[in-house]
Order: sequence, then structure tokens, then C-alpha cells
Amino acid sequence: MSLLLSTYRIIKFSIQNFFRNFWLSFITITIFILTLITVNAILIMNVMADAALTSVEERVEVSVYFTPEASEDLVKSVQGYLLGLGQVRDVEFITSEESLEVFKKRHESNPVILASLDEIAGNPFGHALIVAARSPEDFDFILESVQTPEFSPFIKETDKTDHEMIISNIQMLSSRVKLGGVAIATFFTLVAILIIFNTIRVAIYVHRDEIGIMKLVGANNWFIRGPFLLESLFYGLLATAVIVAILFLSLGALDPWIASYFGDIDVSVREYFIDNAVVIFGGQLVALSLLSLLTTLFAMRRYLRV
Amino acid sequence: MIKLSNVSKVYRPKTIALKNISLHIKPGEFVSIVGQSGSGKTTLAKLLFAEEGATKGKIVIGDWDISSIRQGDIPILRKQIGVVFQDFKLLPRKTVRENVAFALEVAGERGSRIKEIVPQVLKIVGLEDKTARYPRQLSGGEQQRVSIARALVHRPKIIVADEPTGNLDTIHSHEILQLLRKINEFGTTVVLVTHDRDIVNSLKKRVITIEDGEIISDVEHGKYVLS
Repeated sequence: MSLLLSTYRIIKFSIQNFFRNFWLSFITITIFILTLITVNAILIMNVMADAALTSVEERVEVSVYFTPEASEDLVKSVQGYLLGLGQVRDVEFITSEESLEVFKKRHESNPVILASLDEIAGNPFGHALIVAARSPEDFDFILESVQTPEFSPFIKETDKTDHEMIISNIQMLSSRVKLGGVAIATFFTLVAILIIFNTIRVAIYVHRDEIGIMKLVGANNWFIRGPFLLESLFYGLLATAVIVAILFLSLGALDPWIASYFGDIDVSVREYFIDNAVVIFGGQLVALSLLSLLTTLFAMRRYLRV
Repeated sequence: MIKLSNVSKVYRPKTIALKNISLHIKPGEFVSIVGQSGSGKTTLAKLLFAEEGATKGKIVIGDWDISSIRQGDIPILRKQIGVVFQDFKLLPRKTVRENVAFALEVAGERGSRIKEIVPQVLKIVGLEDKTARYPRQLSGGEQQRVSIARALVHRPKIIVADEPTGNLDTIHSHEILQLLRKINEFGTTVVLVTHDRDIVNSLKKRVITIEDGEIISDVEHGKYVLS
């Protein structure tokens, strides 16, 4: 038997099967698509959460406020000391005058605060250092390192609390979204397994006469099983093709909105999917194909006696 | 050609369909296996094309001991044995030509070969002018002829016909019988399973009679002996 000819006929019969049970095929593919939408939504959330974390991490800085008595030389020596630490990315020196200006600008709409400043008659602010760390985990170390007997009497306060909360909130939200997504994807996967199983069962029932005749006239087992296996592979292939189309169309529209949301952080979910297309869609296709094949083999083992 | 030695078939839990059957059918023979309903004659036919396996004993087709045939070898056996059933087993959505060609397609025959063989066998069974008809547009006799044509496309050495005239009137039954005789004259061994007295008596060929799973007579130019 020519392998090529048999393959051609198996493909022909599987396409016939697919269209003869069109609505069952349609429902199976729809469930596959819903599963893939969930999986890809998790991926998109992941990319966005990573971008959000990067954005916050780049913006978070620890501020070290000095007392008005701390001289510029002392603060600059702290700056030099901090820049020498490997955990520190950058240290910005803010003079007391700049601090005052920033404060005034921030409260320009509040005359009471501005009036109280006038009453003090003088600059109540000391110099400050804005320290950017390489990683938010380094802040504690950085803050501890300036608490030396030499510097600590001149340090009025340090500030990092809010940023920690933002980071932990993003991480928590991201992990919750992932967990929810995994639960939904698992649910759709189970539904998909049941639907494929039923689709193949019905297909075997619909074709029972044809299968009987195939057996009678000497078709080999794989010629009989092949169309069902191939039909189940079509589901995965078509679902993946549809999901690629849906994703790229929707991300084309969503990407500018996402980019504007993250401002100066360079984030493109669409680019992420393009760069990792082979791994993402190839992986999804392989996973769906394996799922379909195993379910179909199980359904055939149960219902197709050859 | 066909040799059965002490073949028994038991269906679980303990229905004995065949008991120690031994027989030998020579190449080119036309043998009728007769018996009443439930006598085991259809089980015997099913053993020949490995639709059922024997519980005990040895079945040899040609030089091939199929007593414990592997699942994967059954298609090879089926290409050597044409099978015809009482209910024709035709695909209703395929035409006469497509039904016959289907047997070759699933066996991996080339398209050009299918185009060559199908008209030939349809001519043998006298349906060359009805190739585009669907089974529902044919009489019972014609449908059975399509079924015989399909059984012939692999040029089998043996034809097993299980009650091929069971659904047909007398005229069509004799047409089918004539066709089987013609096929037999070409050298094909024909095993006809039937309980039709007229058919058996008109054949004047070897008759094996089965009752309660046992051969009770085997006569060279026999007649239907059951009441």
C-alpha cells in the first residue's frame, strides 16, 4: 500500500468526518478557543504585571531627609558613600532650597500651609538624598548602612514604605490573577476533554456502518483509526489559528492603550507575543494536539472495535 | 484451501456454538453449509474470515493457520476472502461505483487501478449500466449484486456468502445463485451459508449440514435434509 496514497485518503476521510459532524466540531473548537483565550489572558496579565513591577521598581526610590543642621559637605559625603555601594544605582542630591521649592509648589493651592511656612520665617527643610536602588530588596540594607554614628544624628527621616506596598500589591494581584486563570484554564481543559471524547464517540457512531465495511474489505487498523485521530488534530490546529488571529487583531488595538498606560516604560504585549510566537503558539498547539490525541485514543479504545 | 480440525466455539458464559468441527474444502469447490437458525452455521462462516476466533481447534486458510491470527493480520486475510451478507452492508450515500471502489480505496489501491477494476467487476455482476445509482434506487437483488461486486474487487480466492438470498424473492435469489456459480466457475471457492431449501437443492453441490453446532452430514452432491 502506498503510504502517500493512504495518507491522502486518511486526510480525505478525516475532512469528511469533520464536516459531517460540523456542529460537534464547531463546539469542540469553540471550547478549545476559550481555553486558549484564558491561557493567553494569563500571559498578557503576566507581561503587564512584569511591566508594572519594572515601572514601579524604576520609580521607587528611598528618600533620606537630613536635619537643617546637616551641612552640604556632610550630605555630599553621605552621597559619595552611598554611590560606592553596589546596591545603589543612583543618588540625587536635593538642596534644602530645592526641597522648599518642591514643597511650595506641591501646596501652592493651600494658603494655610504656605502661610505657616511664612510664620516659621526661614527654611525648615534640610538637604535630602534620593537614592535609587538596583532592586527594592536592597532598600533595607541601604538605609541601615547610613545609620552610622557619624551620619545618623543628622538624618531626620527616611521614606520607602509606600513603594513596598505598591510592589507587594502588584505581586499579590498578579499571583491571584494567575491562580484564577489557571483554575479557569483547567476547567476549560476538562470541558474540552469531555467534548472531544463525546465528539469522537458520536463520529464513531455515525460512521459505524462505514467502519464495519472498512473492516470487512480489509482496511488496516490505522486506516480506520487515522481519520479520527487526524480529525482531533484539526481541532487543535484550527483553534490555535483562530487564537493567533484574535490575539494579534486585539493586541494591535490594545497595545497603544497599554503603552500609554505605562508611560515611559517600554511595554508592548504584541511584541512580546511576536518575539515568543514559536514557543507560545507552538507550545499551545502541541499541548492541544496531545490532549486531543490522548482523548481520541481513549474514546477509540472504548468505542471503536477494530 | 480451507481446513478446520476439531474447532469449537463457546460464547461466554457457556453457550456452545460449535463442537469439534472438522472439515476440508478443496480449492474451487462450491460448498453449502446449511442448518436451522441457531445451528452455528453463521458462527462457522465468521470463523473463516476471522470475525470470530475459535475457542479450540485449528483453522487453516490456504497455508495460513488463522487459529490465533494477530489483529494486525486480519486485513490481509480479508483481502483474500470476499464476504457477502444477507443485509448487503452497502453505504447508502455512495453510488454503486463508489461502494465498490471504497473497498479498493481503503485497501490502498491506486486510483488508476480502481478505475480499471471497478467497471470490470460491475460488468461481471451485470450492473455496468447502473454505476451512478444509489443503493436505494436498486432492487434487493441488484443491491446484493453490488455487494458481490465489492467482495470480488480484491480477486479473492474464497467467497463466503452468509444467507445472501435471505432478503430476496425467488427470482432474485436464483439470479444471485447463478452469479455465485459463475464466480465459482472462474475458480473461486464459494462457501454458501443458507437455510434455503430450494437454493441448496437446485445447486447439486456439496452440502454440509450443521445441527446444534455439530456436522451431522457432509454429502458431495447433497440436498437439504433438514425438516
